[in-house]
Amino acid sequence: MSTPRIVNGIARYEHGSRVPGWDEAADLTKDPAGVPDPAVVEVPADLRLEIESYMARYPDSRSAAIPALKAAQQRYGWCSPEAIEQAACVMRLTPGYLAAVAGFYDQLETRPVGRRPVYVCTNISCSLRGADALLAALQDELGDAPDVNLRGFECLGACDIAPMVSVEGVYVGPVDADEIPELARQIRAGDEPLPAKQLINRPSQDPDASAA
Amino acid sequence: MTQKILFKNIDEPGLATLDVYRARGGYGERLRMALSMSRDALVEELKASGLRGRGGAGFSMGTKASFLPKGQLDKYLVCNADESEPGTFKDRELMQKCPHMLIEGMIIAAYAAGANRSFIYLRGEYEQQADILERAVHEAKVAGFIGDRILGTDLSLSMWVHRGAGAYICGEETALLDSLEGKRGNPRLKPPFPANQGLYQGPTLINNVETLATLPHIIEMGAEHYAKIGVQNSTGTKLVSVSGHVQRPGNYEIELGMSSRDIIYGLAGGPGEGRSVKLWFPGGSSSPVLTGDDLDLSYDFDTLAKAGTMLGSGAIIVADDQSSVVDIALKTAQFYRHESCGKCTPCREGTNWTVKMLERIKSGDATPMDLDLMASVCENIIGNCLCVLGDAMAMPIGSMVKKFRGEFEEYIEAARAAAERELLAGLAPTQPVAA
Amino acid sequence: MPRPEHRSITFTIDGREVQAPENTILVDAAKLGDVEIPVFCYEPKLGQPVGACRMCLVEIEGIPKLQTGCSTPVKDGMVVHTQTARVKEAQAAVVEFLLINHPLDCPVCDKGGECPLQDISYGWGGGTTRFIEPKRHFVKPLELSPLIAIDRERCILCYRCVRFSQEVSEDYQLVLHERGAATFVGTFDGHPYVAPFSGNIIELCPVGALTSRPYRFRARPWDIEGSGSVCTLCPAQCNVSFTVRDERVLRVLARQNDGVDDGWLCDKGRFAYQSVHSDERVTQPLLRDGGELRPVSWERALATAAGLLKKAGAGVAGLAGGESTNEEGFLLQRLIREVLGSSHVDAAGVDPVDLWSLARPDLQASLQDVEYAHTVLVLGTEPVDDMPILDLRIRKGVRRNRVKLAVATARPSSLDASAALSVRYAPGGEGAFVTALTAAVYGGDVDAPAAAAGADVDAIRTLAELLRTGGGDDDNRAPGDVVIVWGTRLLGADGGAVTPALLKLASGLALTGRDGGGLLAVPASTNERGLLEAGVAPGLAPGFGDTGAAGESYAEAGIARALRDGDLTALYLLHDDPILSRPDAVGWDRALEKATTVVAHAQFLTAGLREHATVVFPAESYAEKEGTVTHPDGRVQRLRPAIGRQGQTRPEWWVLSELSRRLGADMGILTGAMASRQLFDAVPFYAGLTLDRIGGRGVRWPADPAAAAAFPPPPEVRRDVAYETTATPNGALRLGTFRSIWAGIEVELSPALTFLTPRQQVEMAPADARRLGVAHGDKVVVAGDGASLEATVVLRNAASPGSVFLQTGIQTDAANGLDAALVEIHKA
Ligand SMILES: Cc1cc2nc3c(=O)[nH]c(=O)nc-3n(C[C@H](O)[C@H](O)[C@H](O)COP(=O)(O)O)c2cc1C
Ligand code: SF4
Ligand code: FES
Repeated sequence: MSTPRIVNGIARYEHGSRVPGWDEAADLTKDPAGVPDPAVVEVPADLRLEIESYMARYPDSRSAAIPALKAAQQRYGWCSPEAIEQAACVMRLTPGYLAAVAGFYDQLETRPVGRRPVYVCTNISCSLRGADALLAALQDELGDAPDVNLRGFECLGACDIAPMVSVEGVYVGPVDADEIPELARQIRAGDEPLPAKQLINRPSQDPDASAA
Repeated sequence: MTQKILFKNIDEPGLATLDVYRARGGYGERLRMALSMSRDALVEELKASGLRGRGGAGFSMGTKASFLPKGQLDKYLVCNADESEPGTFKDRELMQKCPHMLIEGMIIAAYAAGANRSFIYLRGEYEQQADILERAVHEAKVAGFIGDRILGTDLSLSMWVHRGAGAYICGEETALLDSLEGKRGNPRLKPPFPANQGLYQGPTLINNVETLATLPHIIEMGAEHYAKIGVQNSTGTKLVSVSGHVQRPGNYEIELGMSSRDIIYGLAGGPGEGRSVKLWFPGGSSSPVLTGDDLDLSYDFDTLAKAGTMLGSGAIIVADDQSSVVDIALKTAQFYRHESCGKCTPCREGTNWTVKMLERIKSGDATPMDLDLMASVCENIIGNCLCVLGDAMAMPIGSMVKKFRGEFEEYIEAARAAAERELLAGLAPTQPVAA
Repeated sequence: MPRPEHRSITFTIDGREVQAPENTILVDAAKLGDVEIPVFCYEPKLGQPVGACRMCLVEIEGIPKLQTGCSTPVKDGMVVHTQTARVKEAQAAVVEFLLINHPLDCPVCDKGGECPLQDISYGWGGGTTRFIEPKRHFVKPLELSPLIAIDRERCILCYRCVRFSQEVSEDYQLVLHERGAATFVGTFDGHPYVAPFSGNIIELCPVGALTSRPYRFRARPWDIEGSGSVCTLCPAQCNVSFTVRDERVLRVLARQNDGVDDGWLCDKGRFAYQSVHSDERVTQPLLRDGGELRPVSWERALATAAGLLKKAGAGVAGLAGGESTNEEGFLLQRLIREVLGSSHVDAAGVDPVDLWSLARPDLQASLQDVEYAHTVLVLGTEPVDDMPILDLRIRKGVRRNRVKLAVATARPSSLDASAALSVRYAPGGEGAFVTALTAAVYGGDVDAPAAAAGADVDAIRTLAELLRTGGGDDDNRAPGDVVIVWGTRLLGADGGAVTPALLKLASGLALTGRDGGGLLAVPASTNERGLLEAGVAPGLAPGFGDTGAAGESYAEAGIARALRDGDLTALYLLHDDPILSRPDAVGWDRALEKATTVVAHAQFLTAGLREHATVVFPAESYAEKEGTVTHPDGRVQRLRPAIGRQGQTRPEWWVLSELSRRLGADMGILTGAMASRQLFDAVPFYAGLTLDRIGGRGVRWPADPAAAAAFPPPPEVRRDVAYETTATPNGALRLGTFRSIWAGIEVELSPALTFLTPRQQVEMAPADARRLGVAHGDKVVVAGDGASLEATVVLRNAASPGSVFLQTGIQTDAANGLDAALVEIHKA
């Protein structure tokens, strides 16, 4: 897959396609992808166990599709064909089924990316408070960090700390312009991001919330 | 000062733990009381409280619970904790700081609905909250509040936290069910409604986090008392998430019927020095926008509906006089295009088309006639889709074009002029063109 | 499950009062009032409506929002409007939305002229576009599989194709990727969509997004003619419509018949038409001359054949292959019996009295019963291979009507995942297994036969419990409607024990005379039932009559033996090559070698014929044939020629009657229809059938009380037959066989399908592979009883250790080359 050219802010692929995948034909040398047979596909024991424990939670084990894909993604960095095949093997589904699920959800990556997700919210509230500049600045700082998957994201449910970033699930904000280099350094190093700005420690803004 | 129900002592250290929550009366007398009522009596009590759903549609909680058929079927309770409506972040604070309040509410709702399996569908991005919730659910299981024969009654309930993976549409209740069943999160045709055929085809009650978390308090204070808070048809308190151009963005618990100005200016501090409110979304980005002239509207379901918009999830997004309505419209449209599931035609194509038109406006390739086209496309989306995600884009965009048409036209002219200048500069001949 | 019944109601549409069954979906009910509501995603064959395309929006009084007609059941008094300004605007808006990115390349689109999108745009669209942005463009068309091309520009995301893959064939290979406007149809990681029923998506696609690669650019709708007939490539006998242009079959489409195929086709049925025009077809008579088959004139071929047959006289045996029509079989047995005075004629190769007993009309389930029964037991057959369309029907019952499915097979079944219970026995244990199951239902010793079958006793008991109590609601545990779908191959394996046990099982489950339950045979070949009923069976005249012949009449294996022993000297083969199609290829090879005369009707020179035939008459393909065939559930169906016969081919009925004329007997047949009439007259339960009555849908004779009453009662079955005990492996491996859906010369000779031609593989359990030191994909030699063949190892987790499975019906290394119960395997 080639990388897209950006035209008018729209990613355009060769032949004018905006969407990766649209221009892909099936590879006729491959066999059809049925439910993988456990006798043929090997799955690491701990991954199998984790997926099976999710399957046991639901009346219909198919419900474990998202948790299973997340577990596989955790292991392989993205929902690679190998990851999907293994999850499908444990769940007794076709890999196509799981690939379709993976493609639907923003947090499941269907192309190789950095292992560590860093999301910058660029939705309305955050962009009113400078999110686009924050994303651009972080892109400058982290563009070359191979294991970081930095991307703009739709509303992350933290507009109270706009503009904000989710660093592997840890929400921080509001991120001031002068904090960006420090934040980028922490992300790169895998350190706690902006400890003073973490949402988890933020008190309620409602002045009466703590009153009896 | 608004009476605090959900946010009372919300920052109390350790409130997320079972011990502190119980010390405050959690899982105590009120739960025993709820479970000792007959199911019908409990449903009546919930109806009498006038509690309307806090997730967006504002449907009576008790009435919805009464829709579930009786009988020995496998029934389900699902808590909608997807909280993806732009501007909304109230459920997050509630779950993070007081997860047991939600769990206790779910036990009561499950009893009312006759459900014995429950799931909390939590948006996948809320990882820290998920950990907290899972810990709380585990504590509640160990303490016997979840499991077989709760408090010695005939209620048995299982509960799991199900983490989503990033899709706004999964907040729509039927899409949520498909997603919870392990499928792509596409909305389903209604009817059948979830109350009849929901999760795994079984009768299912779906409620928002805040709705469910309110239940223990309704039992404790009595429906009659609860119904006295707020205004007619909008009883109780509501968490509002205020964000955007305000000085103190955050969640505030208000009594329904409070003046919007008091929320935006009084609680959230209003826009910065010297700025004024240009437009605001009263109930998340799906609600048609209001302007600075509408600040005195009472913040309740009916008043906002009458003003042509909605209370929605209670998320107020404020934009001040320096912001560009074109930018806000584009952000809004882009969001819905990105989140459209793609199942039905008007939404999939209409959101995409609207974004393209707005992009044309930005790049200077539009004329004022395109505003009519955009309005017409929005009209063609509204009411014709499978779920209301399409409407959720078309309505606010439609309202922006209508209320800020002048600004759109100015923008179009300016952008055209700029584009022309750029074009001419690009063509700049070595010799000046003769006049 | 009782089939739904609906009372009639009246509703109003566009001012017209219309009667319709209550709860009919509005778009269907509207048609009863001559109102068309446009649809794209609605296709009832695919299950519940999805309401995705929004094309069918209509106004219903009393409901503020427009409603989708595809999901609204009509109720009494409902008032519907489809012509109001609001409806028209909404419909035009949907067309506009669908077309904004559609390439509008109708002039070069295969669908042009038969395209719902074209028709609906014309009928309901606004006729103009307001979309001025550049349309999206992609490389196109792309290969989705060797059979199907996909043009994603044209796709309107109606979900039909993926719903088919997910909710009809349940192969779940075709999916939607991404979401929103970026959604597209595709497969996992670029794997091709290859599955037994994939071609149906071409027909389902309402635009030109999915096209048949073999058909692309071959014709336009105005160049072609459609011609209805029946596919005779397998026992499912699906109804088809041949697309014909200039006397060539260019395409096969489904011709929906709910009693037979539900409107689906398998890919063999859809694409193997190419073999009709294969260069390999025999198109003129051939005569062996100097060791080789050479073309000769019809006169010479007929004269020679007549002479040789005359010489052999009662030493001639006849064998009809499953693709023969009832009429052909009927005339063959006349030739052999009446003209040549021999009594040796066979088709099925198993004891015909067994088949007769099990074909009783009071025990017969219809194909549709499979969909509505409480419980379906699949016994000793793999429907997707043996009768593909039945596989879809079973899945439909389970999915839509919550039919409980049980599977009892030696080889792991593709239906296991849908089954409430799957039970395995060892190959060779067929008779013992059915005996044990019957005992578990009826009472008697279960342990000994279960052990002899190599099956788990508890599993058999659970299965018996399921069959006995699967009916009604869970409380009353009443016996329900059970359909036992059984493979007639069971009779070949251990027929003596299977038949009495199966009959007893049926009566134990109260299936006799029961509507909604009974037995449904899955024959080993297309027209097994019809040929039996037409008298192509040893010792049984047409309609199970008495042949009056003295002495033994040989069945297939007896014929081979007698040929080898010199008791018979000539063989008449109608659409058959026993080396390919019958067990014991080695024995048959010797039999043919020994025969002085082999006369064959053949479309293709398979190896056995090339080697051994004396005279070969070119045979009609199913697209050229007229006549009838009988479906496994007793439906007599009619074949109609779609194209002229290829080359010098003449109809089989003509050849048979001409030969008999030359042998001194006039059959009295001048047309194909006369052959049919003779057949209908000769078979008591076909009485009253005419070609006209059979028409395009067929007639199920067991459903006609008069015909059923005319069914001669079969003789009492022998009850003293002991079951066989499956071989103990003792380090070796038990051999089981199966025949892939893709086995068959038609697949090999259709350029589009050749890629599916099966190669020999040996399926085994991982434990056995480990013991033998072989891995998935390894080449191995499988040897037994002095013969051996090469195969590739395929590991299957669900396979029972101790048993391996090889394929039959393939051209090289076929399993029937090994006539052994036990085999040994080593690395090649
Ligand atoms: C596109 C869309 C997104 C929605 N997102 C959410 C959400 O994130 N959280 C939520 O509670 N309800 C959401 N809803 C509303 C739900 O469909 C449903 O009405 C609600 O969960 C019912 O709970 P309540 O009655 O307690 O409000 C959404 C609805 C739509 C149409
Ligand atoms: S490919 Fe055809 S059938 Fe499939 S979604 Fe697209 S338009 Fe529908
Ligand atoms: S036909 Fe009704 S929505 Fe598609």
